[in-house]
Amino acid sequence: MKKSSKAVKKAGKLPAARKAKPAKKPVKKPADQKKALMKALRKAAGRVKKAVPQKAAQAIESPRNKTEETKYYPRPTPYLPPRQWEHEELPERYGDTRIVIMARDPYWIFAYWEVTDERRMQVEREAGASWNEMRKVLRVYDVTGKDFNGFNANRYFDIDLHPGSTSWYINVGAADRSWCVDFGVITPSGKFIVIARSNIVVTPRDGASDVIDEEWMSIEEEFLKLYGLWGGFGGTSPGKAKIKKIMKERLQQELSSGGLSSFVRPPNYKGRGFWMVVNTELVVYGATEPDATVTVQDRPIKLNRDGTFSLRFALPDGEQVISVKGISADKEEERTITPIVKKFTK
Amino acid sequence: MEKGYLCIVLHSHLPYVRHPEYEDFLEEDWLYEAITETYIPLINVYNGLIRDGVNFRITMSITPSLCSMLADPLLQDRYVKHLDTLIELSNKEVERTRWEPAFNRLALMYQSQFIETRRTFVDRYHKNILSAFKEFQDMGKLEIITCNATHGFFPLMEVNPQSVRAQVQVGANNYERFFGRRPRGTWLAECGYFPGADAYLKEAGIRYFFTDTHGILHASPRPKYGVYAPVFCRSGVAAFARDFESSKQVWSAIEGYPGDYNYREFYRDIGFDLDFDYIRPYIHKEGIRINTGIKYYRITGRTDHKEPYNPDWARERAASHAGNFMFNREKQVEFLHDVMKKNPIIVAPYDAELYGHWWYEGPMFLDFLFRKLHFDQKTVKPITPSEYLERNPRNQVSTPTMSSWGYKGYCEHWLDGSNDWIYKHLHKAADRMTELANSYPGATGITRRALNQALRELLLAQSSDWAFIMKTGTVVQYAVKRTKDHILRFTRLYNDIKAQRIDEGWLADIEHKDNIFPEIDYRVHT
Repeated sequence: MKKSSKAVKKAGKLPAARKAKPAKKPVKKPADQKKALMKALRKAAGRVKKAVPQKAAQAIESPRNKTEETKYYPRPTPYLPPRQWEHEELPERYGDTRIVIMARDPYWIFAYWEVTDERRMQVEREAGASWNEMRKVLRVYDVTGKDFNGFNANRYFDIDLHPGSTSWYINVGAADRSWCVDFGVITPSGKFIVIARSNIVVTPRDGASDVIDEEWMSIEEEFLKLYGLWGGFGGTSPGKAKIKKIMKERLQQELSSGGLSSFVRPPNYKGRGFWMVVNTELVVYGATEPDATVTVQDRPIKLNRDGTFSLRFALPDGEQVISVKGISADKEEERTITPIVKKFTK
Repeated sequence: MEKGYLCIVLHSHLPYVRHPEYEDFLEEDWLYEAITETYIPLINVYNGLIRDGVNFRITMSITPSLCSMLADPLLQDRYVKHLDTLIELSNKEVERTRWEPAFNRLALMYQSQFIETRRTFVDRYHKNILSAFKEFQDMGKLEIITCNATHGFFPLMEVNPQSVRAQVQVGANNYERFFGRRPRGTWLAECGYFPGADAYLKEAGIRYFFTDTHGILHASPRPKYGVYAPVFCRSGVAAFARDFESSKQVWSAIEGYPGDYNYREFYRDIGFDLDFDYIRPYIHKEGIRINTGIKYYRITGRTDHKEPYNPDWARERAASHAGNFMFNREKQVEFLHDVMKKNPIIVAPYDAELYGHWWYEGPMFLDFLFRKLHFDQKTVKPITPSEYLERNPRNQVSTPTMSSWGYKGYCEHWLDGSNDWIYKHLHKAADRMTELANSYPGATGITRRALNQALRELLLAQSSDWAFIMKTGTVVQYAVKRTKDHILRFTRLYNDIKAQRIDEGWLADIEHKDNIFPEIDYRVHT
């Protein structure tokens, strides 16, 4: 855990990570579960409180940690002050009773739901209890390989919800499985009433497939070699377990910029020490006959319509001899004025 | 005889930002910066390579939203105005830096660059640089691919397959309008793929797409050649995967080339560095300091103290990095060729805007790289995915895993506490769009216009950029505004269409504002 909180602190340096709200606290009391799963879930819940809603977000000795020192965000740029626009708000509810789930990564799915008042009242009547006194639950089914009918899941676990919550990050902890989630209540008598059933999602694989294509069969050794090559550790075969770990680390690196500066890499004010910059510029200005010819340090300049002129120079340390020469339009008269400016910095 | 192929992919994308209702709109600068710093420099590189007889291949996505902006007369004119202001500023800079030769030289460099850019943009391509890219494609050097219509992120759109279809179809049709033929390949926004998304590509006649490394490495059945050969999805659409090694050399913050101390420092811009009164006419009207594009320093080191940029040193570094990149690809290809007993393809995709905008010397690097590849070696041959597939029509059948090239490799960047609230609205709007498309299969007149506009609003709301920005925390208010604006406009259209009381004045107003995809047909959302 100590390691993990270190990672949090590091990640906190990243504005993106700072912005990210932790996932809503998932998974409290998994009923009907093996102890191991409960343990895993609790552990995950604990982490989430620390703003690492991700099993994979451990302190890995990977380039990811170093990424923060990179060219792409080495120093702050002052940036846009917040701007506000007037607009209507989007509706809180659409008058549906539904739950939708999305796979976020191999281990987590996100669910959001909505229940109409009518459906609530109907459930209350069915349960013989008021809405507030019933436990609101997400029942998460592993339906891998099933034509799910509500009763044939491989296994399931329940998540007790906070009152009023309308979305949840669920740690399913298993890649390459199919999931379905019911939103429902548990009546005082212990009965589960399904209010809405979700779509089915599959969590993505987090490692190489075990399915070997007969037509294209290749030997394990050869595959690992290729797999290893991808990771840039040469032609050696680092072994399956290690490869999986390295893969995870790789995925932590950001190898895409996401477009233009203006909407990536916000400045990072925190962590920057005090700073100060002083520069000097010199304004040389004057006036003459509007039709005169004027040169400054032998270079012609353009006069304003009224014969005035103004030049602005960055002023480095040292001596500047600024000869300003004016010649009348008929070339009869000439005048030179030469300010000499000496600048030094201590 | 070559032993393998290198497929450089540049993904160029910007969200559709166009605000005729404002005279000066900050976020429109994204486009102007990208034109000056990336797109025109790339055009210059391509033109130079062609002029010198270098046989190169680049695969470049130009997303439908970017195409639409590049072809938009309002934005084209605004860009010229923007450029004229820059030229004026560079004139002043040439004068201001007179006593500082190291900076004066750079001011002159920018001045001539901007003037040259104007000549290219206005005189040579008549403000439409899409025609430049089309020329390169017609010459067979560049393969332009399309993208999801508004860069919608597919893995989080799986519950609305109709939207996936619409994103693909609208994108492909848009491509055809600009480039005169159907797209052969596509770039899935953020490399976001879910098993089955390929079927929609197939429907649109698209033959290939890209995934991140693990998309293919974790495909099932296990791909025999890893990421060094494409696989065919069940639909027959090919998936190519990113090679990590070549990505890292350019992208990686630590080992990556762009961090070289001789390269130009991105973060020191005169828009922030100079006296407010002086720079005021060249920043945002409300006095908000912004990047002007005039930057005088090199990275120098891990220090706040920055030395003036030296273009000659930077050029030398770019040449040597190109040499290093090529050397590594040669070694990689030789090794892979030995192991695989066939020619590997190394796919190296990058955000186009990395080249030039972030990494000022990036276009120069590409220029050197393709020259070296052409003249100095025979092991690695640049190739496009289409060419590869023509030569290798037989590939393993396998289904990539759901994946993206975003942080941690899946959906986390687009689905977290900062942005998860949008999906409820996006999914609902998509459901409603399907309902509309099914209820009005043959609409005409104003109903048809409203239905088409409804689909435009939905697509614009679906841009992955808004969720991305909410997560990175930069111009969050703008991303929220855009999400809400489009959802609200969509919802009003939905209600009005169903009630058969469409307000034509209002419809015309939002058609004018959100004028993307004039060719759109709402019936694709079924």
